[in-house]
Amino acid sequence: MNTALKNIRRAPFQALSAVFIISLTLFVVGIFSLVTLASHIILLNFETKPQIIAYLKDDHTTDQVAGLISNMTSTQGVKNAIYISKTDALEIYKKSVGNDPVLLGTVTDWGIVTADILPASVEITASDPSAFNTIVSILGKSDIVSATPQGKKEIDFPQDVISELTKWTNAIRGAGLILIIALTVVCILTVMIIISMKISGRRTEISTLKLLGAQNFYIIKPYITESLIYGLLGAFFGWTLSYIALLYSTPFLAPRLGGVISFPIPYWINLFLLVGLLAFGLILSLISSLFAAARFVKRSR
Amino acid sequence: MIDFSHITKSYPNGDVVLNDVNFSVSPGEFVVITGKSGAGKTTLGRLLIRDLLPTKGKIVIDGEDLNLIKSKNIPMIRRKVGFVFQDYKIIPDKTIGENITIALEIGGYNRKKIQEKITELLKMVGIPGKEHLFPGQLSGGEVQRAAIARAIACEPAILFADEPTGNLDKDTSIEIFNLLKKINDDGTTVILATHDVTLISLNPDRNIHLEKGKIISDVDGLPAGKEGKPPVKSEQKIGHTKTASSSRAKLRDHTPHKEI
Repeated sequence: MNTALKNIRRAPFQALSAVFIISLTLFVVGIFSLVTLASHIILLNFETKPQIIAYLKDDHTTDQVAGLISNMTSTQGVKNAIYISKTDALEIYKKSVGNDPVLLGTVTDWGIVTADILPASVEITASDPSAFNTIVSILGKSDIVSATPQGKKEIDFPQDVISELTKWTNAIRGAGLILIIALTVVCILTVMIIISMKISGRRTEISTLKLLGAQNFYIIKPYITESLIYGLLGAFFGWTLSYIALLYSTPFLAPRLGGVISFPIPYWINLFLLVGLLAFGLILSLISSLFAAARFVKRSR
Repeated sequence: MIDFSHITKSYPNGDVVLNDVNFSVSPGEFVVITGKSGAGKTTLGRLLIRDLLPTKGKIVIDGEDLNLIKSKNIPMIRRKVGFVFQDYKIIPDKTIGENITIALEIGGYNRKKIQEKITELLKMVGIPGKEHLFPGQLSGGEVQRAAIARAIACEPAILFADEPTGNLDKDTSIEIFNLLKKINDDGTTVILATHDVTLISLNPDRNIHLEKGKIISDVDGLPAGKEGKPPVKSEQKIGHTKTASSSRAKLRDHTPHKEI
């Protein structure tokens, strides 16, 4: 450890560049980890909500509804199907608007919102988004599902939203992954070059150690330790930067994602991120130093 | 203990540094290898620690053929042979104590006892209390003593000193020689490679003289007229090394203990 720290003190700018590149890489890794986690939560949120809502005609009977529900639940890819009566619909509406007198119609001249003006519906949750089209097709053939004056069945489903969201999150993940891979390669090369330079700079000392009977591991140990110090420092700074970025973006994100993700982000997520980045930093620096050391071992007698 | 058998070493440019060299060294011997610069003394040392491989021939140390040992076992051989380098090879940016610590760590010495050992070693080589000084703060003779302390730190069975007095004045050279004799008296086999005629005249034991890579003479004791002890000619010079070594060992056993 003392030798490693001495090596760092001797070439502070090399150490600084190694820590900087690792910090940058791990900052990007941290940010993309958070983005990936957020997009996963958002997608999960969409997928666990009732995904297809079919509005029913007012003249439907209980038997017809039961038949439709039974038909739905026996369809592959359907997790469950529930009936929302007009009264249920009113309760849901009241919950969603709170005590807003305008939306409740208590202060308007068109009268108080009652169950009569809200349609009953069947809400279907799919276990697999690929079943959406089959479900919609079955609902479209049902007589009790209401239709617009143009004859289009009144069925809401967020297929477009989900597929659009999936497309975007996949694109972000893909771009992030490419960026992370590129930065990781640059990072490994940079640290490897720095450690190789240090090993080369102390070639005379190393040859003396070899003549004294030192094993390769004894010789490369300080350089590996030095690299691990870079990894730890880089990971810590990278995590700090991503944490600061998260704090700064919270006022922007909270109102937009508040319903899906709770802000501030729970401490354990940050802790988990820190542990993950430290582990990644250590692995990265270990790989770099082992590459550098392997070249040295190969060249030396 | 050490057996050089038909050793030839040539370099890719065609230079033959050692040419069919044969000799053996028994445990506890003090051997001075002499010869001009370029005679092959350093090459012998480098072959001994497997820093070089012979072009032809076989070197055996404690029953181990150096040609056959695996790369991973080379450090073990080097720990058996303490090496005092002509240019000291003391790491300049480490203190004398740190330099010796490295050798002790390499040898797997108990970490808790390292400081105690360093004090003991420096006292033994005549530079007590200098462990906190850097090589640049010491004289040439003191650095050489430190190099010897490092070489014997892990109590190797063999000590090879390559021109240890090459850069030193006559008095200091004699002190270094006496120190090597003292180490030999403690049971370490010492091989001293030198071109310093002062040291040759001091050596009452075995002298091997090299010239252009060949052993010209391999004799026991000082030349006639020096300290009154006649030289004992080896039974052979090249070839029957085992017999010669045994005789020398016997001779050593019957030689009265010499005060340094």
